[in-house]
Amino acid sequence: MIKKSLLLCCSMLAFFVFSQNKTNTNTFFQDFKNSFTASYESNSQWYLNDSKFGDFEEEEHLRSTNFLRLDYSVSNQFSVGAQLESYAPENLLNNSKLYNKDFGLATYYLRFATKKIDITLGYFYEQFGSGLILRAWEDRALGINTALRGARLIYYPSNSIKITTLFGKQRKGFEVSDGDIFGVDTEIDVSSTFNILSSSSLVLGLSYVGKNESYLKSDESIINDIPVLVNAFSARLDYTHQNFYTNVEYIEKSKDLRLNNIIPNIITFSENETFKGNALSWTAGYSQKGFGVSYNFRRLENMRWFSERIQANANNNPTNQLSINYLPALSKQHDYTLANIYLYQSQPGLFIENYEYPFIKAGEIGQFIDVFFNMKKGSLLGGKYGTKANINMSYWANLASDYSDPTGIPYFLSDNLTYETEFINFKNKLYSDLNLEVRKKWSKQLKSIFTFINLYYNKSVLESKADNSSVRSWIGVVDGTYKFGKGKSLRLELQHLSTNDDARNWMGGTVEYFFNSNFGIYINDSYNYEESKIEQDTKIHFFNIGGSYTKGASRFAVNYGRQRGGLLCVGGICRPVSQNTGVTVNFTTAF
Amino acid sequence: MNKKKYLLVLFFLGLLTQAQSPLPTVELQTLNGQLISTDEIASNNQLMIISLWATWCVPCKNELDAVAEVYEDWVSETDIKYFAISIDDSRTSKRIKPMVDGKDWEFEILLDENSELKRAFGVSTVPFTVIVKNGLMVYKHTGYTPGYEDELYEQILKFSQ
Repeated sequence: MIKKSLLLCCSMLAFFVFSQNKTNTNTFFQDFKNSFTASYESNSQWYLNDSKFGDFEEEEHLRSTNFLRLDYSVSNQFSVGAQLESYAPENLLNNSKLYNKDFGLATYYLRFATKKIDITLGYFYEQFGSGLILRAWEDRALGINTALRGARLIYYPSNSIKITTLFGKQRKGFEVSDGDIFGVDTEIDVSSTFNILSSSSLVLGLSYVGKNESYLKSDESIINDIPVLVNAFSARLDYTHQNFYTNVEYIEKSKDLRLNNIIPNIITFSENETFKGNALSWTAGYSQKGFGVSYNFRRLENMRWFSERIQANANNNPTNQLSINYLPALSKQHDYTLANIYLYQSQPGLFIENYEYPFIKAGEIGQFIDVFFNMKKGSLLGGKYGTKANINMSYWANLASDYSDPTGIPYFLSDNLTYETEFINFKNKLYSDLNLEVRKKWSKQLKSIFTFINLYYNKSVLESKADNSSVRSWIGVVDGTYKFGKGKSLRLELQHLSTNDDARNWMGGTVEYFFNSNFGIYINDSYNYEESKIEQDTKIHFFNIGGSYTKGASRFAVNYGRQRGGLLCVGGICRPVSQNTGVTVNFTTAF
Repeated sequence: MNKKKYLLVLFFLGLLTQAQSPLPTVELQTLNGQLISTDEIASNNQLMIISLWATWCVPCKNELDAVAEVYEDWVSETDIKYFAISIDDSRTSKRIKPMVDGKDWEFEILLDENSELKRAFGVSTVPFTVIVKNGLMVYKHTGYTPGYEDELYEQILKFSQ
């Protein structure tokens, strides 16, 4: 192990040494270098036994994930590339076990692109519209890669029309999905195509995505026609007129099987009934210098969609691998640790849970509003340097629905159960929040951010507890930065979360010091200081210490401590982390 | 054995590192949903900064707030253009427009919703800042620390001559 680490250190050192070497004058070599780009990322964790949580029970304590991406432009039109990945001896905790090779070729492509046409063979990433219908993407911090392997053709008949066609199989670790995916997307910039609406812009989009996957009936006597091909169609519109803008997108997905239960390892489908899905999203806003407001509405019904049906089982696939579309929660993404404890997760899927009656989760409906404004320098509230504020509210509810079962069996195990939803009904509240953020600069040296959050979290439904539990909480954060000059600065952050529910009150804080713009260290702690029934979060310090060193596009960071799940933002970088205790080492470079 | 080969590959890649490579060609979107390529913006601007950011990233917003305060001076002294390219996906991309106007930022804002440019740059975290001169990337920096904008401006001055 030590030998390996040593080798790793040596190669990192090589980057630093050679990246400074600019004396080479050989033009052939220079040309090659100029057409070649590469990047490398390594995330290693050494999991330790914990006096509070107990021993780390899995076999491999030291784990590492590594990504090496290489791109080479053969000419102005041709380029090739590949991504090599290493999960040795296995993937990080909580990440998908599909990524299981010590070292392997993960993706590769060959691309030919001109102003009119763009062809990719091999693996590619793609998004149609906002991704509600199709998104093939990568997020290494989340451990997701849904790239498609196949072919993509993008054609531009004119400057303002773009037509994308594609087919492929989705990446599944180092293999690909059983199901085939194909799609067409057309985007038309109407205002410039027809040279109309000079003070406005209008962009129209139409998409189709299909998934083809065979299905073996559990019983030959089932007469219902089970769709092998599932189709989705979408239309979208972006309209801007001076300071006003609006965007609307609608998707309809054809009938598909319903996953019958969410019991681990036993996956069955409702073969007697199939269900449609749909999604509607609408945004409207107004903005001018110093003021911006936007309103967003979204309704999702039965929209979870995978390139393999069995991946819909959330217990077996908690990280949503092989997802065809992208259905994120639309609520404020928080920056501070305590604000990341009660997080809303979107509820786009169709699940029927069995209590004393069937409980239908067919999707979600909700809205959020964002207001930003700038109080000018010299005004009463603006002070000498101006003040910036943001108010954000969101509200999300489970779709209101009625179920019926012609066979009269009042259990979700019945294959004949059907349901109907109401189009607009916000009564089954899942989550709401109100966020206030004020950024104030006091002097050339001192800046601060004040954050206040009030939230409601329906734990019973969101975590399938069936115990009527919910959390009402408020969170306050004060964050101040003092600059000493020449890159030296000190940041102090204090947080408090108040609630009488769940794990009750928390407090937290961070102290961060930068010696210069390259090198910084920090300590932070979150502490639940009250007795509660939630043992794993009671009177435990989530204490961390670490530092980072940055040079150009390279960064090295190390952290020791105990982590809750959530987004960790220190040292100038944000990334989501999962619960664990140990040492984390990250290294990234691009060259 | 594989691991050793892998590290050997890495070592030789170190030899290939270069300070100046062309800005990758990637299609981005304007806030109105129109398509624009990095080639287009590079050919229209001799000296520019590309900064990858996101609405959910505190250091990014700190950087843009700090640059916004001095941006007028930067432009008048060096003729630089600053492109703040958001990697927000549909989870948060609807917040960009009101945020940018609400904060009174004067930069050019473009969208990289599926992280194509971020991937082409080979970065995994934001903020990430690049100075582009005549279509070549001449300076890169990852992360933001309070006061870094002064250092960035020194680099701009260096390349504006």
